[in-house]
Amino acid sequence: MTGIRQSRGFEFPDDLKPVMQRARRMEYLTIAYLLSAIVVLGLVLGQSQALKTAWFDDVLSLIPPIVFLVGSRVSLRPPNERFPFGHHRFSSAAYLGASLSLLTMGGYLLVDAAITLVMMEHPTIGSMQMFGYTVWMGWPMIAALLYSAIPAIFIGRVKLPMADRLYDKVLFADAKMNKADWLTGAAAIIGILGIGYGFWWADSVAAALISLDILHDGWTNTKSSVLDLVDQKPQKVDRSGPDPVVDRVRERLCSYSWVRDADLRLRVNGHILFGEAFIVPTDDRDLTRHVEQAVREIRDLDWRLHDVSVTPVTRLAHDVEEKRGDADG
Amino acid sequence: MPNKRGHAFAAALMLLLLACDLPRDPEGTLDRVQGGVMRVGISDNPPWTLVEAGRVDGVESMLVEDLARELGARIEWIHGTENELLDALHRFELDLVIAGLTDDTPWTGKVGLSQAYVETSSLVGVPQDVEPVGDDIEGREVAVPLGNAVAAHVRSEGGTPQPVPDLTAARLLVAAEDWQLAAWNYAPTSVELSSHKHVMAVAPGENAFLVRLEVFLAQRGDDARLMLTREAR
Repeated sequence: MTGIRQSRGFEFPDDLKPVMQRARRMEYLTIAYLLSAIVVLGLVLGQSQALKTAWFDDVLSLIPPIVFLVGSRVSLRPPNERFPFGHHRFSSAAYLGASLSLLTMGGYLLVDAAITLVMMEHPTIGSMQMFGYTVWMGWPMIAALLYSAIPAIFIGRVKLPMADRLYDKVLFADAKMNKADWLTGAAAIIGILGIGYGFWWADSVAAALISLDILHDGWTNTKSSVLDLVDQKPQKVDRSGPDPVVDRVRERLCSYSWVRDADLRLRVNGHILFGEAFIVPTDDRDLTRHVEQAVREIRDLDWRLHDVSVTPVTRLAHDVEEKRGDADG
Repeated sequence: MPNKRGHAFAAALMLLLLACDLPRDPEGTLDRVQGGVMRVGISDNPPWTLVEAGRVDGVESMLVEDLARELGARIEWIHGTENELLDALHRFELDLVIAGLTDDTPWTGKVGLSQAYVETSSLVGVPQDVEPVGDDIEGREVAVPLGNAVAAHVRSEGGTPQPVPDLTAARLLVAAEDWQLAAWNYAPTSVELSSHKHVMAVAPGENAFLVRLEVFLAQRGDDARLMLTREAR
């Protein structure tokens, strides 16, 4: 298989390299913090279903930072003969697997909480000896939950703008999950206090809420990675709408005097965009040189426009469709 | 959003401040027992519990009688097998079960187990006229009670278990509980065969009653050990 043209190797632009470095450091910090929270919660883990679910939530929160750290290494490997497009899809594929585990675990924990509720199981939380005092275990549990919830909010806040600048969806989902962690903590604390007040059901209701949140994370992340893998039209990082970069490329192409009309399709491969543009030239003189220059200029338009080819055609597909009366494009 | 979050934390904090008398019982055991009747299930398991001709005795029975005195409760004793009693406790038909239970009971999670009030271990002990060993019983014969799990532990330590009807009559190394060795004046070795955390059981989720029981037991752990040694003599 000789003669396969490989894509260019990709490096982040100079102003983003330090952002990537910081993001990687933040993710190492996240993992260290999560591991400590897992240990702290593990120490007080008792019969509370809510606490157990919050603990699983923390374990599952390890997945996005790990996928990010591994993915940001692997996806930057240069293209080779076996992988002519590079390895940018690695994160999407890994993230799909990880999201499915979130979905499965969320479902399992929801069923578990529901069974506890239906069986009317009264969670038993006794006391422990602390500095010579008998302390109800609910209090250390609540302290551990506060530790597992509050720092996460700030970690998430720091990571969110980085995800925006790097166009990194894994980092974005991770930051969002960290920021939402206070919800898990608050629900579990209310569950424990509920047990304290003698409402045995408060615990499993809180556990069900937390597992719904895990399910929700699993669902949005699975959807997001599937949509990436089937090459949905590029979306903003937060999926709040179509990425404006597509229109910017079309505008640039249409601004050339030698172009009558232009159309393009882009797909997201990890951080960057690949795709094809189609132009209807006004005349064929110097066409090859013009096209090559257009390719270079598109590349300079945005660091993410990594590999966009330009193909001259006599007419665009949507012209044909419009003639058929199908104006959907 | 930040405002909503602020409210949630403020609410949580308020709850914490209002919550100094926690926990409470979902089924109100502690309130009902204080100055009332405490339904205690007891299953024969000497020296922890003894039931003879309608009379109860044993380490745990004595502890529970003291607890009842502290709570101003009258005890209604219910005799049964451990399984029956724990099932009844699981369904809130009893308030407390004593049966020489240990924390590895399969009923964990179905009933509320207290903290261990005393921890015992099975050790290899050396009677006065028997050749002592260090921390190794490899190849040595060790007297064990008839049909007891401790024989398997002796075997896995490399010793040869000798089941005997009366440990004190054996002229061999002896596998026995630490409190028994102390009572018989046998020198304990460092060969630990198994350990047992002794607990009592309350109805599931009756956390106020459980914590009250644990406060009581925390003060009485040393008494329990003294009583055990006395029983062994």
